[in-house]
Amino acid sequence: MRDDTLHEPDQALHVEDLTVSYGETPALWDIDLDIPPGVMCAIVGPNGAGKSTLIKAALGLVRPIAGHVRFLGRPVNAMRGKIGYVPQRHSVDWDFPTCVRDVVEMGLYRALGWFRRPGRDARARAIAALAEVGMQDYADRQISQLSGGQQQRVFLARALVQDAPILILDEPLAGVDAATEAVIISLLKRLRDDGRTVIVVHHDLTTVQSYFDWLVMLNVRIIAQGPVAQVYTPENLRAAYGQHLAMIAVSSGASE
Amino acid sequence: MTLLAELLSSQIVRTVLTGAAMLGAIAGMLGSFAVLRRQSLLGDALAHAALPGVCLGFLIAGGRDLGSIMAGAFFTGALAALVMMLITRATTLKTDAALGIVLSVFFAVGVVLLTHLQGMGGAASAGLSSFLFGQAAAILRSDLWMMGGVGLVALTLVLAFWKEIKLVSFDADFARAQGFPVTVLEAFLTVMVALAIVVGLQLVGVVLIVALLIAPAAAARQWTNSLGTMVVLSALIGAASGASGALISATTRGLATGPVVVLCASVAVLVSLMLAPGRGLIWQALAARRARAQIGERRILAAMQGLADAHDDARYPSEQGMLTAALGYAPDHQRFAALERRGLIRPVTHPPETTPHWELTPSGHHEAKATRADPRHRPEHPS
Repeated sequence: MRDDTLHEPDQALHVEDLTVSYGETPALWDIDLDIPPGVMCAIVGPNGAGKSTLIKAALGLVRPIAGHVRFLGRPVNAMRGKIGYVPQRHSVDWDFPTCVRDVVEMGLYRALGWFRRPGRDARARAIAALAEVGMQDYADRQISQLSGGQQQRVFLARALVQDAPILILDEPLAGVDAATEAVIISLLKRLRDDGRTVIVVHHDLTTVQSYFDWLVMLNVRIIAQGPVAQVYTPENLRAAYGQHLAMIAVSSGASE
Repeated sequence: MTLLAELLSSQIVRTVLTGAAMLGAIAGMLGSFAVLRRQSLLGDALAHAALPGVCLGFLIAGGRDLGSIMAGAFFTGALAALVMMLITRATTLKTDAALGIVLSVFFAVGVVLLTHLQGMGGAASAGLSSFLFGQAAAILRSDLWMMGGVGLVALTLVLAFWKEIKLVSFDADFARAQGFPVTVLEAFLTVMVALAIVVGLQLVGVVLIVALLIAPAAAARQWTNSLGTMVVLSALIGAASGASGALISATTRGLATGPVVVLCASVAVLVSLMLAPGRGLIWQALAARRARAQIGERRILAAMQGLADAHDDARYPSEQGMLTAALGYAPDHQRFAALERRGLIRPVTHPPETTPHWELTPSGHHEAKATRADPRHRPEHPS
């Protein structure tokens, strides 16, 4: 299919009529979503709300039943090199025989093209990306020796090395310590300030207001989307999470 | 040496040896990726599913024609892989259950066909059962060319697509998000494994050939943390297992080559699991012992410094009973000897008492202080 005409080019991510199902139960139902460029956006929702499925469907890793996705007006296949993806860190085997720098260089494989091996330039870029996440001293470390937070930073470096205008991260703060969380968030904010779009699947409601400026609330359907200040309301939290949890989240967030 | 020379003077032994070594190298190389992608049992299912194909190839060709037998084996192996994929996608069964079902159904069909063909008689069909456990002597020199061809193609493709294969083996989702044709690459790896199985069937048989995929890779993983080294090492271990198995079985009448090759590979696994530095069981047990001893020594130093502080005497002579009370357990004598060797404590007498006493040396004080500041610091003068 030729697609020379841009569709919704003013949105970093545009999703229309997206429905995804595993077996009989729909995981995502008729999602319409727009995320403008240059924001740092959280996707939140209860367990099983379809947060990971949404970004996997956007990236074409999961086949939708219906709907389409555009990044800056183009289908995802035309944008592969311009999207940095950080999967959940538990999705891979960390006992794989390789070192930290090697994993980061994987972010450059696409740009290198077929048959070409990463060389000195790739190595330098990988080290620079590792320095951005504070892991430059671990370049030659075997990946099985990393802690959870270090694994997460290596995954982030692998996406950074691509120098992509759009970053999509799946639960980057799950199971990492406070220091790593601070490193990751300040880095993501800096990328946002550079004009990049950062989309994060997030699980901790109490930090939504301080970390993000755009919010998508999801529970199989879209509950609400927009600037955090407009979307982070008791009504929306109730609709997404139910009565009890919404009260906790709103009361702790109200002190901001 | 004369035995070796005698064995190698036989054309058959040389052929079997070359064939077994080549098969071991091919299976070792491709098996590395199968093991890392957690697909080693897929190889087992493919191998068992090749049996009905062997019989079908025999039926269609009307005799023991290697080309049609291998084509048949490849066909039913591929069919089995397809059925497995359909089962896991269309039902709620998990991969292991699908593997089990497909493996046993295809193997049962194969055995039924095999016994039926043998019941019909004919001299040629008698040899078919050799595909169960392999029959090395049946290998011809022309078969070596085919093995070499498969090996060369596999090696070329693995080298050409090295970084893509590495990426797909480590993180298929990321590879897909980057736009790599992951399904094609995965299918390529599976097809290559199926080809390795097909060329190895004659030698090792459908029942045992999976061991040649798994064992060299499992052994090689123990010795290295680099994918490239692992693949090369795995191919070498496979080749060595094949060669030594072929030689051992040639020394004695009635030793089936295939199973002996598998046993040789198993020895490599056993040795590697035990001895490999870093990952080997014995190595790890020794390292754990060393660590326990070192922590015991640090606790003695800390307790001695505690006593010295309490008595406001840097050279306070500690007696074993007091240290036992301070530590809550009786420290091992070897720990004192080790600390003495490292110059951290020195024995002193404390008349009129006759029991042994120790005092901290200046470097002992230094070490105790460092441990107190950071329990994870590394000692400057390790034992």
